[in-house]
Amino acid sequence: MIRKEAIEIVSKTLKNQLVVSANGYISRDLFEVCDRLANFYMIGSMGLASSIGLGLALKNPKKMIYIFDGDGNILMNLGSLVTIGSLKPKNLVHFVFDNGMHESTGGQPTSSKNVRIDSMAKMANFKVFHTYTKNHLESILKKINDKMGPIIILIKIERSDHISKRIDISPTLIKTRFMKTIRN
Amino acid sequence: MKEYTQREIFNYFVKKGVENFIGVPDSTMKYFVDQGLKKKRVIIATREEEAIGIATGMSLSKSPSLVFMQNAGFANSLSTITSLVQLYQIPLIFLISWRGYLKNDAPEHTKIGRIQPSLLKSLNLKSKILSENFWKKECSWALNKIRDGQSCALIIRRDFLD
Repeated sequence: MIRKEAIEIVSKTLKNQLVVSANGYISRDLFEVCDRLANFYMIGSMGLASSIGLGLALKNPKKMIYIFDGDGNILMNLGSLVTIGSLKPKNLVHFVFDNGMHESTGGQPTSSKNVRIDSMAKMANFKVFHTYTKNHLESILKKINDKMGPIIILIKIERSDHISKRIDISPTLIKTRFMKTIRN
Repeated sequence: MKEYTQREIFNYFVKKGVENFIGVPDSTMKYFVDQGLKKKRVIIATREEEAIGIATGMSLSKSPSLVFMQNAGFANSLSTITSLVQLYQIPLIFLISWRGYLKNDAPEHTKIGRIQPSLLKSLNLKSKILSENFWKKECSWALNKIRDGQSCALIIRRDFLD
Protein backbone atom coordinates (compact mmCIF):
# COMPACT_ATOMS: atom_id res chain seq x y z
CA MET A 1 0.00 0.00 0.00
CA ILE A 2 1.31 3.45 -0.87
CA ARG A 3 0.39 6.64 1.00
CA LYS A 4 -2.09 7.85 -1.60
CA GLU A 5 -3.98 4.53 -1.46
CA ALA A 6 -4.12 4.65 2.33
CA ILE A 7 -5.35 8.25 2.22
CA GLU A 8 -8.01 7.21 -0.31
CA ILE A 9 -9.27 4.47 1.99
CA VAL A 10 -9.54 6.82 4.98
CA SER A 11 -11.06 9.61 2.86
CA LYS A 12 -13.89 7.35 1.69
CA THR A 13 -15.09 7.10 5.29
CA LEU A 14 -15.09 10.89 5.89
CA LYS A 15 -18.35 12.57 6.85
CA ASN A 16 -18.18 15.74 8.93
CA GLN A 17 -14.75 15.10 10.45
CA LEU A 18 -12.27 17.97 10.56
CA VAL A 19 -8.97 16.91 8.99
CA VAL A 20 -5.57 18.48 9.62
CA SER A 21 -2.92 17.20 7.22
CA ALA A 22 0.84 17.49 7.61
CA ASN A 23 3.07 19.36 5.19
CA GLY A 24 4.74 17.69 2.22
CA TYR A 25 3.26 14.86 0.19
CA ILE A 26 0.57 14.01 2.76
CA SER A 27 -1.32 17.26 2.21
CA ARG A 28 -0.75 17.01 -1.55
CA ASP A 29 -2.16 13.48 -1.67
CA LEU A 30 -5.20 14.50 0.38
CA PHE A 31 -5.76 17.54 -1.85
CA GLU A 32 -5.66 15.36 -4.97
CA VAL A 33 -7.74 12.49 -3.59
CA CYS A 34 -10.41 14.34 -1.66
CA ASP A 35 -10.32 18.14 -1.48
CA ARG A 36 -13.02 19.34 0.91
CA LEU A 37 -13.68 22.50 2.91
CA ALA A 38 -13.09 20.71 6.22
CA ASN A 39 -9.45 19.93 5.32
CA PHE A 40 -6.80 22.13 6.89
CA TYR A 41 -3.68 21.71 4.75
CA MET A 42 -0.74 22.66 6.96
CA ILE A 43 1.80 23.56 4.29
CA GLY A 44 4.55 24.83 6.62
CA SER A 45 5.34 24.41 10.34
CA MET A 46 6.50 20.79 10.07
CA GLY A 47 5.57 18.67 13.09
CA LEU A 48 2.61 20.70 14.28
CA ALA A 49 -0.38 18.94 12.66
CA SER A 50 -0.96 16.91 15.83
CA SER A 51 -0.89 20.06 17.99
CA ILE A 52 -3.31 21.96 15.74
CA GLY A 53 -5.50 18.84 15.89
CA LEU A 54 -5.35 18.86 19.68
CA GLY A 55 -6.52 22.49 19.83
CA LEU A 56 -9.40 21.65 17.48
CA ALA A 57 -10.33 18.52 19.43
CA LEU A 58 -10.53 20.38 22.75
CA LYS A 59 -12.73 23.13 21.30
CA ASN A 60 -15.00 20.91 19.16
CA PRO A 61 -15.89 17.96 21.41
CA LYS A 62 -18.86 17.00 19.22
CA LYS A 63 -16.76 16.58 16.09
CA MET A 64 -14.19 13.91 15.24
CA ILE A 65 -10.77 15.38 14.49
CA TYR A 66 -8.58 13.41 12.10
CA ILE A 67 -4.86 14.18 11.93
CA PHE A 68 -3.01 12.95 8.84
CA ASP A 69 0.60 12.84 9.93
CA GLY A 70 3.86 11.27 8.79
CA ASP A 71 6.65 9.55 10.69
CA GLY A 72 9.05 12.44 10.02
CA ASN A 73 6.43 14.91 11.23
CA ILE A 74 5.54 13.22 14.51
CA LEU A 75 9.19 12.54 15.30
CA MET A 76 9.72 16.31 15.20
CA ASN A 77 7.05 16.86 17.86
CA LEU A 78 7.02 13.79 20.11
CA GLY A 79 6.07 16.03 23.01
CA SER A 80 2.63 16.38 21.44
CA LEU A 81 1.98 12.69 22.18
CA VAL A 82 2.55 13.48 25.85
CA THR A 83 0.32 16.55 25.86
CA ILE A 84 -2.47 14.77 23.94
CA GLY A 85 -2.15 11.69 26.15
CA SER A 86 -2.37 13.90 29.20
CA LEU A 87 -5.49 15.82 28.10
CA LYS A 88 -7.12 12.69 26.52
CA PRO A 89 -9.52 14.15 23.95
CA LYS A 90 -11.91 11.32 23.03
CA ASN A 91 -12.59 12.74 19.58
CA LEU A 92 -8.99 12.79 18.31
CA VAL A 93 -7.75 10.22 15.79
CA HIS A 94 -4.10 10.47 14.83
CA PHE A 95 -3.19 8.67 11.59
CA VAL A 96 0.53 8.23 11.02
CA PHE A 97 1.45 7.23 7.46
CA ASP A 98 4.83 5.69 8.12
CA ASN A 99 7.19 5.09 5.20
CA GLY A 100 10.33 5.28 7.36
CA MET A 101 11.61 8.25 5.41
CA HIS A 102 11.34 11.91 4.56
CA GLU A 103 9.90 11.12 1.13
CA SER A 104 9.23 14.65 -0.06
CA THR A 105 12.83 15.77 0.55
CA GLY A 106 14.40 12.86 -1.31
CA GLY A 107 13.79 9.73 0.77
CA GLN A 108 16.27 10.28 3.59
CA PRO A 109 15.62 7.78 6.42
CA THR A 110 13.83 8.52 9.69
CA SER A 111 14.33 6.35 12.78
CA SER A 112 10.81 4.92 12.78
CA LYS A 113 12.19 1.49 11.81
CA ASN A 114 14.29 1.36 14.97
CA VAL A 115 11.96 2.86 17.57
CA ARG A 116 8.26 2.08 17.46
CA ILE A 117 6.02 5.13 17.27
CA ASP A 118 2.94 3.09 18.23
CA SER A 119 4.64 1.83 21.42
CA MET A 120 5.51 5.37 22.44
CA ALA A 121 1.92 6.44 21.80
CA LYS A 122 0.64 3.52 23.88
CA MET A 123 2.79 4.67 26.80
CA ALA A 124 1.21 8.10 26.33
CA ASN A 125 -2.36 6.79 26.88
CA PHE A 126 -3.37 6.42 23.22
CA LYS A 127 -5.49 3.52 22.02
CA VAL A 128 -3.26 1.98 19.38
CA PHE A 129 -3.89 0.31 16.02
CA HIS A 130 -1.18 -0.84 13.67
CA THR A 131 -1.61 -2.03 10.08
CA TYR A 132 0.10 -2.53 6.75
CA THR A 133 -2.76 -3.89 4.62
CA LYS A 134 -5.76 -2.24 2.99
CA ASN A 135 -8.27 -4.75 4.34
CA HIS A 136 -7.07 -4.37 7.88
CA LEU A 137 -7.12 -0.57 7.61
CA GLU A 138 -10.74 -0.73 6.40
CA SER A 139 -11.74 -2.92 9.35
CA ILE A 140 -9.99 -0.58 11.84
CA LEU A 141 -11.90 2.37 10.37
CA LYS A 142 -15.18 0.56 11.04
CA LYS A 143 -14.22 -0.02 14.67
CA ILE A 144 -13.24 3.49 15.76
CA ASN A 145 -15.68 6.01 17.22
CA ASP A 146 -15.76 9.32 19.07
CA LYS A 147 -15.69 7.77 22.53
CA MET A 148 -12.41 5.90 22.25
CA GLY A 149 -9.79 8.57 21.81
CA PRO A 150 -7.12 9.55 21.74
CA ILE A 151 -6.49 6.96 19.04
CA ILE A 152 -3.35 6.48 16.96
CA ILE A 153 -3.45 4.41 13.77
CA LEU A 154 0.02 3.62 12.50
CA ILE A 155 -0.13 2.68 8.82
CA LYS A 156 3.05 1.23 7.33
CA ILE A 157 3.26 2.34 3.71
CA GLU A 158 5.69 1.85 0.84
CA ARG A 159 7.62 4.46 -1.04
CA SER A 160 5.90 5.52 -4.25
CA ASP A 161 6.90 7.23 -7.49
CA HIS A 162 3.62 9.07 -7.72
CA ILE A 163 3.76 12.75 -6.83
CA SER A 164 0.45 14.52 -6.31
CA LYS A 165 -0.16 18.06 -7.53
CA ARG A 166 0.67 21.09 -5.43
CA ILE A 167 -2.06 22.72 -3.37
CA ASP A 168 -3.17 25.67 -5.46
CA ILE A 169 -5.36 27.49 -2.97
CA SER A 170 -3.92 30.20 -0.74
CA PRO A 171 -3.27 29.57 2.96
CA THR A 172 -5.74 32.27 3.98
CA LEU A 173 -8.43 30.68 1.81
CA ILE A 174 -7.63 27.25 3.31
CA LYS A 175 -8.23 28.88 6.68
CA THR A 176 -11.43 30.79 5.94
CA ARG A 177 -13.22 27.90 4.25
CA PHE A 178 -12.11 25.53 7.03
CA MET A 179 -13.43 27.93 9.69
CA LYS A 180 -16.80 28.15 7.94
CA THR A 181 -17.24 24.38 8.26
CA ILE A 182 -16.57 24.60 12.00
CA ARG A 183 -19.24 27.20 12.50
CA ASN A 184 -21.87 25.01 10.81
CA MET B 1 6.57 43.13 37.28
CA LYS B 2 4.72 42.94 40.62
CA GLU B 3 2.79 39.84 41.64
CA TYR B 4 -0.43 41.81 42.03
CA THR B 5 -0.12 43.31 38.52
CA GLN B 6 0.60 39.95 36.90
CA ARG B 7 -2.49 38.40 38.50
CA GLU B 8 -4.58 41.42 37.48
CA ILE B 9 -3.38 41.10 33.88
CA PHE B 10 -4.46 37.48 33.77
CA ASN B 11 -7.89 38.32 35.20
CA TYR B 12 -8.25 41.20 32.74
CA PHE B 13 -7.66 38.94 29.74
CA VAL B 14 -10.24 36.44 31.01
CA LYS B 15 -12.75 39.25 31.57
CA LYS B 16 -12.16 40.47 28.03
CA GLY B 17 -12.86 37.06 26.50
CA VAL B 18 -9.50 35.33 26.10
CA GLU B 19 -10.35 31.67 26.67
CA ASN B 20 -7.06 29.81 26.30
CA PHE B 21 -3.60 30.36 27.80
CA ILE B 22 -1.03 27.93 26.45
CA GLY B 23 2.71 28.01 26.76
CA VAL B 24 5.96 27.20 28.48
CA PRO B 25 6.47 29.04 31.78
CA ASP B 26 9.19 31.50 32.78
CA SER B 27 9.89 32.85 36.26
CA THR B 28 9.52 36.41 34.92
CA MET B 29 5.77 35.77 34.55
CA LYS B 30 5.26 33.15 37.22
CA TYR B 31 2.37 34.91 38.96
CA PHE B 32 0.55 35.36 35.65
CA VAL B 33 0.88 31.63 34.94
CA ASP B 34 0.03 30.74 38.55
CA GLN B 35 -3.19 32.77 38.36
CA GLY B 36 -4.14 30.80 35.23
CA LEU B 37 -3.30 27.46 36.84
CA LYS B 38 -5.47 28.38 39.82
CA LYS B 39 -8.36 29.17 37.49
CA LYS B 40 -7.70 25.95 35.53
CA ARG B 41 -7.31 27.80 32.27
CA VAL B 42 -3.69 27.03 31.43
CA ILE B 43 -2.18 24.30 29.27
CA ILE B 44 1.55 23.79 29.76
CA ALA B 45 3.06 22.56 26.49
CA THR B 46 6.35 20.70 26.05
CA ARG B 47 7.74 23.29 23.63
CA GLU B 48 6.73 26.75 22.48
CA GLU B 49 6.02 25.65 18.89
CA GLU B 50 3.66 23.01 20.23
CA ALA B 51 1.87 25.69 22.26
CA ILE B 52 1.46 27.81 19.12
CA GLY B 53 0.05 24.78 17.26
CA ILE B 54 -2.52 24.08 19.97
CA ALA B 55 -3.49 27.77 20.13
CA THR B 56 -3.87 27.80 16.34
CA GLY B 57 -6.36 24.91 16.49
CA MET B 58 -8.31 26.83 19.14
CA SER B 59 -8.18 30.08 17.23
CA LEU B 60 -9.51 28.30 14.11
CA SER B 61 -12.41 27.32 16.38
CA LYS B 62 -13.02 31.02 17.11
CA SER B 63 -11.74 30.72 20.66
CA PRO B 64 -9.39 33.63 21.50
CA SER B 65 -5.97 32.44 22.67
CA LEU B 66 -2.76 33.69 24.24
CA VAL B 67 0.61 31.92 24.06
CA PHE B 68 3.22 32.62 26.76
CA MET B 69 6.94 31.90 26.64
CA GLN B 70 10.44 33.05 27.57
CA ASN B 71 12.42 34.80 24.83
CA ALA B 72 14.50 31.62 24.42
CA GLY B 73 11.22 29.99 23.36
CA PHE B 74 10.45 32.93 21.12
CA ALA B 75 13.70 32.15 19.31
CA ASN B 76 12.58 28.51 19.00
CA SER B 77 9.32 29.69 17.47
CA LEU B 78 10.51 31.89 14.61
CA SER B 79 9.70 29.41 11.83
CA THR B 80 6.31 28.57 13.34
CA ILE B 81 5.46 32.26 13.51
CA THR B 82 6.40 32.84 9.85
CA SER B 83 5.08 29.60 8.30
CA LEU B 84 1.93 29.11 10.38
CA VAL B 85 0.78 32.17 12.34
CA GLN B 86 1.67 34.80 9.75
CA LEU B 87 1.15 32.64 6.63
CA TYR B 88 -2.43 31.78 7.60
CA GLN B 89 -3.03 35.06 9.48
CA ILE B 90 -3.91 33.42 12.79
CA PRO B 91 -4.79 36.02 15.45
CA LEU B 92 -2.80 35.19 18.61
CA ILE B 93 -1.40 37.22 21.51
CA PHE B 94 2.17 36.27 22.39
CA LEU B 95 3.32 37.07 25.91
CA ILE B 96 7.11 36.96 25.79
CA SER B 97 9.45 37.54 28.70
CA TRP B 98 12.53 39.66 28.05
CA ARG B 99 15.40 37.81 29.69
CA GLY B 100 18.71 39.59 29.28
CA TYR B 101 17.01 42.97 29.68
CA LEU B 102 19.23 43.69 32.67
CA LYS B 103 22.91 43.58 31.76
CA ASN B 104 23.75 41.22 34.61
CA ASP B 105 21.06 38.58 33.94
CA ALA B 106 22.47 35.03 33.56
CA PRO B 107 24.88 34.68 30.60
CA GLU B 108 22.64 32.37 28.52
CA HIS B 109 20.16 35.24 28.16
CA THR B 110 22.56 37.98 27.09
CA LYS B 111 22.59 37.48 23.32
CA ILE B 112 18.91 36.71 22.81
CA GLY B 113 18.01 39.62 25.10
CA ARG B 114 20.08 41.92 22.91
CA ILE B 115 18.64 40.81 19.57
CA GLN B 116 15.01 40.36 20.70
CA PRO B 117 13.83 43.85 19.62
CA SER B 118 15.36 43.46 16.17
CA LEU B 119 13.92 39.95 15.77
CA LEU B 120 10.44 41.28 16.50
CA LYS B 121 11.03 44.05 13.99
CA SER B 122 12.32 41.66 11.29
CA LEU B 123 9.27 39.44 11.75
CA ASN B 124 7.04 42.50 11.59
CA LEU B 125 5.38 41.19 14.74
CA LYS B 126 3.94 44.30 16.38
CA SER B 127 4.71 44.52 20.09
CA LYS B 128 4.34 46.61 23.23
CA ILE B 129 6.23 46.44 26.51
CA LEU B 130 3.98 45.91 29.53
CA SER B 131 4.31 48.58 32.22
CA GLU B 132 3.17 48.74 35.87
CA ASN B 133 1.15 51.91 35.26
CA PHE B 134 -0.35 51.44 31.81
CA TRP B 135 -0.71 47.66 31.41
CA LYS B 136 -4.43 47.92 30.81
CA LYS B 137 -3.85 50.15 27.82
CA GLU B 138 -1.20 47.79 26.45
CA CYS B 139 -3.38 44.70 26.94
CA SER B 140 -6.35 46.36 25.32
CA TRP B 141 -4.14 47.26 22.33
CA ALA B 142 -3.35 43.52 22.00
CA LEU B 143 -7.02 42.55 22.30
CA ASN B 144 -7.87 44.98 19.51
CA LYS B 145 -5.15 43.46 17.33
CA ILE B 146 -6.55 39.93 17.58
CA ARG B 147 -10.06 41.24 17.08
CA ASP B 148 -8.77 42.66 13.78
CA GLY B 149 -7.36 39.24 12.90
CA GLN B 150 -3.70 40.05 13.58
CA SER B 151 -1.15 38.48 15.87
CA CYS B 152 0.92 40.64 18.21
CA ALA B 153 3.28 40.43 21.18
CA LEU B 154 3.34 41.81 24.70
CA ILE B 155 6.76 41.93 26.31
CA ILE B 156 7.32 41.47 30.02
CA ARG B 157 10.73 42.70 31.14
CA ARG B 158 12.93 40.74 33.50
CA ASP B 159 13.44 43.57 35.99
CA PHE B 160 14.91 41.55 38.86
CA LEU B 161 17.79 39.16 39.49
CA ASP B 162 17.58 35.95 41.51
